[in-house]
Amino acid sequence: MEFEPNEDFERELRQAFERRPAPPGLKRKLLARKSAQRPQHLSVIWQRLAASIVLIAALAGGLEWRNLEEQRKDEAARQQVMKALRITAHALNQMNAQLAAHGRAANE
Amino acid sequence: MAHDWQPDFEQLVDKHQSMVFSLAWRMTGDRGLAEEIAQDVFLELDRHLSRIESEAHACFWLRRVAMSRSTDALRRRKVRGMDLWVEMEDRHSVQAEIHSSPLGVRLEQLLATLPEQQRAALILRYQEGLTPEEIAATLESPVATVKSHLQRGLKLLRAKALNHLREYVRVKEQVRGV
Repeated sequence: MEFEPNEDFERELRQAFERRPAPPGLKRKLLARKSAQRPQHLSVIWQRLAASIVLIAALAGGLEWRNLEEQRKDEAARQQVMKALRITAHALNQMNAQLAAHGRAANE
Repeated sequence: MAHDWQPDFEQLVDKHQSMVFSLAWRMTGDRGLAEEIAQDVFLELDRHLSRIESEAHACFWLRRVAMSRSTDALRRRKVRGMDLWVEMEDRHSVQAEIHSSPLGVRLEQLLATLPEQQRAALILRYQEGLTPEEIAATLESPVATVKSHLQRGLKLLRAKALNHLREYVRVKEQVRGV
């Protein structure tokens, strides 16, 4: 679709749609809002920074606790294996002793 | 890209406050809301000042954000169910008379009755003097769509203005006849 302007009507529109002056207090109110927002803006940044630090510390603490817990479980499992090995070794020794005694009795 | 232009926020406000306010006012039809939008637009400019590369870029950015914020405000109002058109007519009729001719006032009132996209295109065309291509860039619309909105908006506005003039002439003749 081609845009076909009508010159007289367009001239009338340009006159009718001239820019209006901004309200007198606009700049003053704007600058007041700007200066009020700046400290708030900074405090928001500090709050976010503090929240980030707390979050990172909590995450690091959680990870460290998980590592320690895993180490503790590993150690407990190792202790259990060692205990099982000791019991097995003890049982084997007893069995050996019984077999040796049985062999001696058979020879006599 | 490096640029030498050093933006001065207060100078930008001085230079463009009338443009931003007028765009917001004509789009929303509400002087108070337009002032609020203009303040919001400039505060947003302040936050984006480091990204503004030139005076022309600042002007383009302000027009684009002013139109966008005004459209957002209109949508929020529609959601709230306010009868914007009646309100626009009332407020324009009171405020516009201060500066404009009777036909100018009527044209502004009639502008408020046009669909939002046609109104936006006409405001940028006749308040800001932008070409259809520049309007398309400002509204982030295809050029063909903008030309269509301009064509339809202008036709509708012309028809409404003609009706108004006929009515005006009829009333004058009646008065003269009496």
